[in-house]
Amino acid sequence: MVLLGPNGSGKTTLLLILATVLKPSSGSARVMGLDVVAQPTRVRQILGTAFQEARGFWRHKPAEILRFHATICGVPKDKRETRIEQVMKDLELWDARNKLFMHLSGGQTKRVEVAKLLVQRPSFAIFDEPTSQVDLRGKRTIWEHIRQLTEEGSTVLVATNEVREAEYLADRITVLDLGQNVVCDTVKRLKDSISGGDIVELEVDGPLDKDMVDQVGRLEGTVRVAAVGENQLRAYVSMAEAWVPKMTSLCYENNTKLVSVRVTEPSLDDVFLHFTGKALGAVTSS
Amino acid sequence: MSSILRLIWFDLKQELNPPVWIIMEWVTFGLQLGIFGALISQLVTGISDYLQFYAVGFVVMMTFEIASHTGRHFVEHAHEGRLPYLLSLPIPRWKLFLSVALQGATELALLITVPLLVTLALIGNLTAVSVTAAVATLFWLGFGVAGLMLALSFIAFRSTDLYTAIVTGLSTIIIRFSTVLYPLIFLPRAYVGPALFSPLTYGSDLVRLFLGFDPSLLLDPGTAAVVLTALAVSTLGLGVLLLQRLVEGVKSA
Repeated sequence: MVLLGPNGSGKTTLLLILATVLKPSSGSARVMGLDVVAQPTRVRQILGTAFQEARGFWRHKPAEILRFHATICGVPKDKRETRIEQVMKDLELWDARNKLFMHLSGGQTKRVEVAKLLVQRPSFAIFDEPTSQVDLRGKRTIWEHIRQLTEEGSTVLVATNEVREAEYLADRITVLDLGQNVVCDTVKRLKDSISGGDIVELEVDGPLDKDMVDQVGRLEGTVRVAAVGENQLRAYVSMAEAWVPKMTSLCYENNTKLVSVRVTEPSLDDVFLHFTGKALGAVTSS
Repeated sequence: MSSILRLIWFDLKQELNPPVWIIMEWVTFGLQLGIFGALISQLVTGISDYLQFYAVGFVVMMTFEIASHTGRHFVEHAHEGRLPYLLSLPIPRWKLFLSVALQGATELALLITVPLLVTLALIGNLTAVSVTAAVATLFWLGFGVAGLMLALSFIAFRSTDLYTAIVTGLSTIIIRFSTVLYPLIFLPRAYVGPALFSPLTYGSDLVRLFLGFDPSLLLDPGTAAVVLTALAVSTLGLGVLLLQRLVEGVKSA
């Protein structure tokens, strides 16, 4: 399951409530049937959390941090060292095993945070933006390991505002905005639910005027139009193959020169835009 | 119990890796006693062996500073983002709070061992009972001070700047208006009233009593013991109560 939402949408707050770090101010929450307020210690026994930012371990070495985490979370002694070594090698932390945490790069500290859960292998794993600050190759490695954790039977909850990460990791997605659960479904069903499943992105030579945008919106087959830049337009349409010729004719009639036309299927960004009315990259103001 | 010991050891490693702070505290004590203490003991005539009096006072001051550091440390953890991690570990809250208290006590033991040994050697001619009682008093005082800082931590959850300002101001007043360096009967009249509200007055006088200093220069030991006990029990209780309510409402900065 992936929680998708922009900064400030309440993803981390929700995760911290599930991890029993924060108490909910109202309502209730359960993790695998356990109430987070009434049974917090039992919740923590089945759960592991990789926080958004790994901080506060300044004078410890990565191996020490993982060893402490594995021990306190009850990883059997005979498996502990093997797992730590394997995970550190997989996440390219092995060479940095004897460096102090405060001397690691941002990406390396993030890997240590993720490595804690890969060593622990909890029944319920929470990852808060697991690959922020990590390079592309590292992202792929982390995603593969998170998937592997799911395949081994763990329930995984990932909070992210990265569309690619969500696409790669999600079987189901919950879209959060301003602390509210906007929608929750499988990736495919969320994409299919967008009326006018085809997306046509146009770029014209010069700024688009409002009249032109309105005319595109009135074309047969247009479901919705959004200006995404001064000279760019995104149209959600039915049957793009029939819609595009009409649109090119309209441009010709209005003496508007088309620079490019791109037809794509909806991304999770579009899913977010569809359900919340704003782009995922936009920072929530309140 | 093993999870408590692991937490203490993990946290303690921060200070020991490398042990700069510990060595600095010992060096500071050595310099303070060897230079300032030696000089001022030549000037003070009302107390025989003022250097010994001064050494005990400095150990009490160190105890105060280390204990208040422990309390503040916990608040720093909350704002550095380390506390959320500790709160997410599969251990009950009471074990977490106990480990914080014991970690503070262990740190106190590490930091004052050498200064205390030097002070005891300076005084000389002591029994095991008197030394044990003095050390227990220091730890009791330490618990009270750490509890006081924890109890004040609710301010930090609103504003760390305000907390720092209040704690710094309070620490200065508690140290200055106390009998750590001079007996109560020698203090100017204006200082006596405030000094009776300082936990250090009771802590330092009780430690000195156990170490064989002239009782006529010190406060009544019964009163001192009651005040220190009341301080430790009330502030630690209040601190834990407040933290249990506050800590799970704090997001890291």
